Amino acid sequence: MLRKEVNDLLTQTDPGTPMGDMFRQYWIPALLARELPEDDCPPVRVKLLGERLLAFRDSHGRYGLIDEFCAHRGVSLWFGRNEEGGLRCPYHGWKYDVEGNCTEVPSEPAESGFCEKIKLTAYPLIRIGDVLWTHMGDKDNRPPRPEWEFATVPAEQTYTSKRWQECNWLQAMEGGIDSSHVSWLHSGSLKSDPLFKGARGNQYNQNDKKPVFEVVEADGGLFIGARRMAENDQYYWRITPWVMPSFTMVPPRGDHPVHGHFWIPIDDENCWAWSFDYHPTRALSTEERQAMIDGYGVHNQYVPGTFRPRQNKDNDYLMDRDAQKRGETYSGVWGIAMQDASLQESMGPIVDRTKENLVSTDNGIIMARHRLRKAAVALRDKGTPPPGRDIAHQMVRSAARVLPQDQPFKDAMKDDLTVRPGVKQTSV
Amino acid sequence: MGDDIRDLFFDPNHPTLLGGCARAASAEEARYRVQYPNSRARTSRIFALDAAAAEVMYGVTESPWNGAHFLTLSTTATIDPEATPAEALPLAHPDGAAADLGRELDGADVVVLLATRGDSEGAAEVIAREAFHRKIMCAGLALAQDQQDHAVDRVVNSMRRFASVLVVARDNDFVPAMLTALRA
Repeated sequence: MLRKEVNDLLTQTDPGTPMGDMFRQYWIPALLARELPEDDCPPVRVKLLGERLLAFRDSHGRYGLIDEFCAHRGVSLWFGRNEEGGLRCPYHGWKYDVEGNCTEVPSEPAESGFCEKIKLTAYPLIRIGDVLWTHMGDKDNRPPRPEWEFATVPAEQTYTSKRWQECNWLQAMEGGIDSSHVSWLHSGSLKSDPLFKGARGNQYNQNDKKPVFEVVEADGGLFIGARRMAENDQYYWRITPWVMPSFTMVPPRGDHPVHGHFWIPIDDENCWAWSFDYHPTRALSTEERQAMIDGYGVHNQYVPGTFRPRQNKDNDYLMDRDAQKRGETYSGVWGIAMQDASLQESMGPIVDRTKENLVSTDNGIIMARHRLRKAAVALRDKGTPPPGRDIAHQMVRSAARVLPQDQPFKDAMKDDLTVRPGVKQTSV
Repeated sequence: MGDDIRDLFFDPNHPTLLGGCARAASAEEARYRVQYPNSRARTSRIFALDAAAAEVMYGVTESPWNGAHFLTLSTTATIDPEATPAEALPLAHPDGAAADLGRELDGADVVVLLATRGDSEGAAEVIAREAFHRKIMCAGLALAQDQQDHAVDRVVNSMRRFASVLVVARDNDFVPAMLTALRA
């Protein structure tokens, strides 16, 4: 249960809100690099944290993320001409560069210097891996460039997708740190999904549907351990890292690539679910990459030409009650990503947490909310930068391992939970 | 799944349900959710296993809880779990009145163990054993504020065998946050 004022604080991310200010402390994923594939390509509308923006790549390969609307008459620059080092409004020819500077106002004498008085809001847009990242906060307080492992391994080892999720970011993210739902909602997919099936760990998941949880605070967020019984009275541990504000990883299975997510607010009622898969030490196989493109694992299929999932609320997620009866899917919805999204969207645009009845196994979620609230308030009241900005906080991995009962995961798996270049993920 | 999205949208055998998920998940429809208390008050029992944990607990007992009982050990002696039946565990309410473990756990929904030290394993076992027999969920909260790692490890180890969920909190203000979230 969360009081309404706390729920509002955590879920509202428009400019000027405490959580909005907090998100603006970080580099966040804004676009897939392939959305701006070449110089002078068409610009792309982007809405992030309640701000309507436009991304483009100019004639010199520079990326820009600027206010979507022309300062003259408010026309959307999505209609603009991307040419000769800038984006020109087609209405009256005003032109802007990647930093939002107005470089031409054709109706005014160039000598008047009028255009120098015009500037659109602009945020930096940098490419790291398959992702274009932006920082929407104070440029004098810009954190170091992100170094998440999935974005820094060689291109052949990683794959990233994104999908539009039609609900608030927090209820989507909370699914990413809620390990107990896997044995239920995804039970069908563990047996059939090419990016999950075949791992020994799946048997432990299937055989023990009452995991025991251990939640440990880390400098950048949390490690949420779920343990299930394994053979010889040992524990099978699956550790989910959460790094503030919204990075989560799924514990790995066998030698399958490792998955994870960013949950980024579009506005208060929509978010981007970023999904990545990577292998720390080898290239993804052709079959694995194709499976990701085909929507398996944490990825999804799309309405062509969009980032809206093919299964969406307008077609009832293509609910298949027969497949549910046959045991192919637990909820009747195909695919792990949409199994989660369908339920999270069903809660409504922003779930009313005053009505919920959490139990003690929800303590990972309870702790995450607590830390988010504390960090947002500390930033608002004291200007304290929140955790998760430091590169060291980003050097985390998920892991799965069988341990003797007397070994705490936080010590026994310390190395497993840390990025070690050239070392494979720890998995069962 | 077929490859052509049109097949799916217009397949007469797989119709989109009019008034289905799209409408049901809207903000407008959220207004029509039935308004009623969807749970009864829980019976929560919070046990501070050492003096420092009791201090933290006393800091929140005055808040308006939903019937939670806050209890402390009324001895600093080591508890031998093998030799201590539930009724013999020395417990006290915040006002100093003696408490009986069995009576406290009658009808309880959740037990929360608070500890800052690792030397209360015996008491934790007696409480958790009784909770287990009664099929009551037992959560352990290790309070790590101002503590060294090895001290926290001792706390965690002392509760691991008994708790269905174990949380290591760096700040004591997680205690009221957790109890509020659990409707204690």
